[in-house]
Amino acid sequence: MSENRGYRGPLERIDACRWRIPRDYQPGMRVDGIIYASDALIETVRGDLSPEQVANVACLPGIVGASLAMPDIHWGYGFCIGGVAATDPDEGGVISPGGVGYDINCGVRLIRTHLSRAEAAPRLPGLVEALFRHIPCGVGKGGRIRFRREELRRIAAEGAPFVVRRGLGWESDITMTEADGCLRDARPDFVSDRAYDRGADQCGTLGSGNHFIEVQVVDEIYDEAAARAFGLRLDDIAVMIHSGSRGLGYQVCEDTLKELRDAPRKYGIDLPDRQLVCAPIRSPEGERYLGAMRAAANYAWANRQIMTHLVRETFAAVFGAPAERLGLTLVYDVAHNIAKLEEHVVDGRRRTLCIHRKGATRAFPAGHPELPDAYRAVGQPVLVPGDMGRCSYVLVGRAAALEQTFGSTCHGAGRLLSRGAAIRAAKGRSIHRELLDRGVIAKAQARTGLDEEQPDAYKDVTEVVGVLEQAGITARVARLRPLGVIKG
Amino acid sequence: MNLGYELFDHTADIGIRVTAATVEGLVAPAAAGLYAVIGDLVPVGEPRPVAYDLSGHDRAELLRDWLAELLLLFDGDRRVIRDPVVEEFSAERLAVRAESLALDPARTRCEREVKAVTYHGLELIRTPGGWTATFIVDI
Repeated sequence: MSENRGYRGPLERIDACRWRIPRDYQPGMRVDGIIYASDALIETVRGDLSPEQVANVACLPGIVGASLAMPDIHWGYGFCIGGVAATDPDEGGVISPGGVGYDINCGVRLIRTHLSRAEAAPRLPGLVEALFRHIPCGVGKGGRIRFRREELRRIAAEGAPFVVRRGLGWESDITMTEADGCLRDARPDFVSDRAYDRGADQCGTLGSGNHFIEVQVVDEIYDEAAARAFGLRLDDIAVMIHSGSRGLGYQVCEDTLKELRDAPRKYGIDLPDRQLVCAPIRSPEGERYLGAMRAAANYAWANRQIMTHLVRETFAAVFGAPAERLGLTLVYDVAHNIAKLEEHVVDGRRRTLCIHRKGATRAFPAGHPELPDAYRAVGQPVLVPGDMGRCSYVLVGRAAALEQTFGSTCHGAGRLLSRGAAIRAAKGRSIHRELLDRGVIAKAQARTGLDEEQPDAYKDVTEVVGVLEQAGITARVARLRPLGVIKG
Repeated sequence: MNLGYELFDHTADIGIRVTAATVEGLVAPAAAGLYAVIGDLVPVGEPRPVAYDLSGHDRAELLRDWLAELLLLFDGDRRVIRDPVVEEFSAERLAVRAESLALDPARTRCEREVKAVTYHGLELIRTPGGWTATFIVDI
């Protein structure tokens, strides 16, 4: 599976937005695979082997319903990116680190402001430069705030609230973070010294690859009531942060994949791909991964929280007013690489399931008890970054998400070009200049950063979110246009 | 110039294919391929001896494990290795001696953060001309 030959297997149309890989396609499939895509998007899906990965995931013991993929699906490792799988601990269901990914709790947060585009415009170049200098980004950049090992353990146990109590945020930030920024039952003692070493100076750093900080403007409102609840006003400036658990999370995944090598044989699990290595949720190996993964997820929430603090400091310095007066309020923070035990109703029966979201975002509808009070009447904000040239979206969870996708939706536009193809496509061009022509100031540490992450490397996010709106999973609330981008 | 490795496309990540006349010969270009993905890494200062002794039951996994060790050395200590000498490379054991060096911050240019050397597409096979190993790294 190292080279892309394209997918040649079946994709049966279910309706305008869904395609089925029948369970008889591959020996060992326990459920169907279902891919959400438009007619246009499904053609790009056939171009790589991601549907094969959807079929592979359908082989996992204890999988419930279907192996799902969102329209931003692309070829990953083990699970496809954009994959969702629910497994039932009571029926021998497994947990697979490949269903979470190396960047545990990679996720997105959105900070709104009271600044209008016109107010911000004169200082925008200075703001982007100041953010680039103040927030550590790029390979190997250490954080501005150092933590001792014991403090790192507390971050792993307590998540974002720990750093907020240290003055690196506001109490309201916690309420507006998925799971209040802390997964209970995290086990910092299951995180290896190597993982702590690797993440030692990285809490509060952006990283590299597709991680970014964007200064954006709200340029379209689709749902006035939801936008009002989320505090989003037309023409206001917002800041989006995309990052995860940095080296600590990568190492937790690395350690676990090694520890689990013999687990499939031990538990009699036949796997079509060794990157799907897994263990029963109710096994010592499964519980160990869950505990360490939760600890890494908590580190990621602390990481994004510290960067929020640095964003506020930067805005205060550039605009000469306290962050409170500038209205730098967290709209929401949501993970898109995670596994969580959640209650879902399947075939009329309430069950506790392990929901793997690998490049997929939780999208709970109005009335869900896990939502903050301020959003319970409208539904959960879903933050979907697009690309640095076009736009991103704020969506809201709808009822069909619980009925069809275990409360999940897409996480972004989804990659279209490989990194190599993107670099080749950028030859002879200046992506920096092209972005400037679109009104976007971009700063990147790496020479190849802008080329590899150029807008053409991604699918059109508008088409991706449109599929899920048509399916009734999520609905558009607001569109955000990029004005400034910070890349690692 | 034959570097002993080539990089190939994988949608969001990057593949490394290594070829050599002997299985032991895969080790040095595998490291070079990993470093090439990360960027232009320029070592500096006094070398330190470093030894790896990894056990397992699969050569492909052992070579992957070794690259994961190099990644940790780079990410945690900001060091790279050079001149690896393979003492044993069987399905049960990979033993490598090398020198590690710090990176020159003024001349080193990092382009990509490699999160991990994945198991996806992992392969180490004998070919008519020698040996080939394939890895996909997560960016």
